[in-house]
Amino acid sequence: MDPTLVVLAYSSAAAAMGGLGAAPLLLRERLPVTAIGWSNALAAGLMLGVAYALMILGLERIPLSGALGAMLGIGFVYWTHAVSGTADLDLNRLDETQPEYGYQVLLVNTLHSAAEGVAIGVAMTVSLPFGAFTALAIAVHNVPEGTVLSAILTTRGVRLSHAAGLAVAANVSQVLLAVVSFALVTAAPGLFPWVLGFAAGAMVYLVLVDLMPECYQQAGSTSIGLVTIVAMGIVVLLVSGGVVR
Amino acid sequence: MNEVLVVLGYGLLTALATGLGALPFAFVGRVSENTVARANAVASGLMLGASFGLVAEATQYGSWQTVLGAVCGVLFVLATQVVLRGHDIEFGRVRGAGAQRMFLMLIVMTVHSFAEGVAVGVSFGGGMTLAAVIVAAIAVHNIPEGLAISAVLRPRGTSVAACAGWSIVSSLPQPLMAVPAFLLVEAFAPALPYGIGFAAGAMVFMVFVELLPEAYDQARRPSVALLVSITMLGMMLFQQYL
Repeated sequence: MDPTLVVLAYSSAAAAMGGLGAAPLLLRERLPVTAIGWSNALAAGLMLGVAYALMILGLERIPLSGALGAMLGIGFVYWTHAVSGTADLDLNRLDETQPEYGYQVLLVNTLHSAAEGVAIGVAMTVSLPFGAFTALAIAVHNVPEGTVLSAILTTRGVRLSHAAGLAVAANVSQVLLAVVSFALVTAAPGLFPWVLGFAAGAMVYLVLVDLMPECYQQAGSTSIGLVTIVAMGIVVLLVSGGVVR
Repeated sequence: MNEVLVVLGYGLLTALATGLGALPFAFVGRVSENTVARANAVASGLMLGASFGLVAEATQYGSWQTVLGAVCGVLFVLATQVVLRGHDIEFGRVRGAGAQRMFLMLIVMTVHSFAEGVAVGVSFGGGMTLAAVIVAAIAVHNIPEGLAISAVLRPRGTSVAACAGWSIVSSLPQPLMAVPAFLLVEAFAPALPYGIGFAAGAMVFMVFVELLPEAYDQARRPSVALLVSITMLGMMLFQQYL
């Protein structure tokens, strides 16, 4: 299969996982908040692990271009939050009643997905197993994100099936950016350290600005810390053991 | 001169360098709740960056050994937390949760110095020709560690001089471990991935379970995230280029 199609397939599969996040709402009215906290922590650990792998993979030391790329990645997410007026937006306020809150969360999820797509795309240029693993980490992150988004939308009168569809639609930028950044780095290998740094910086910032603070509100800090560090350890084992690299 | 004395002396020099990490706080004025959160974020970034570097190094010796060491590091922090909670701790004028956090920070950073000391001794075992370069490198690496310790102690009222003192104390295991590791390289080298993994696991867990939750409580999320991610990147670059 053409490598670009492989990237398209994996990133689409990861994006579709957002819809799966609506499933818990079929079963019960109230959200299992602690379980969402743990799955967010799992996603945070996997994404930090992937960022670690991006920074050490194939690079004896981080080149200047990689460091600048990381600053751009951090700056990109910071800037999109600032410009869209969502810097302090808590994405998990289920009791929030203002109508525009639903749009804001949808917008932020779309912006986040773009940065995550770059990570999938650049990881695919390293190797197929590493790219597939990065797509898996993002997919794990998309599930609880979809759950919370669906809960917020359904309390605003959106039907559950439509909410699930919107949760997937918010991830479409992920697919687009995965394919674009893969094609870009393949066509211009000189951009590799820049895009790599961008993806790593953006992921670390996203985890710190969004996932971690929300985890701590959903479950106790000891359990969150344990889940996160175990997920990071698994990535370190897989990467250094040569399973994904 | 006796080589053992040279290794010990160099080790002491690197420990003293840790005290330099307290210096920036001589220029920081009034300390508010927000300063505690920001300092926590800086310490978190330094410790995460240092751990990423340590893990990258340790996994070259063996990945299972590194992760096993990290598991022990996490368990060590959990056990220390339980012990500290059972006592009414005072640290200077601080009591309660703040004092426990300060103690835990000192314990974690001191224990992590044991592993670093072994790494120093083993690297000297390769010959004394590069000794001065290695010492300079380690001394420089210790400064941000002193900064991380001071970032946790200083905003809670510890004086700058005391911050420097505690930073140096936390590094004293380095010369103590460097000498036996230098004399018995063959015996110590296999322990290296476990030791480094232990240090990294303890530091990362300390960040997730103590430093970050407090930072998010008291400062806006973007400022915490910016400080952590930028200091983390800075620490990784610092370690690679200096």
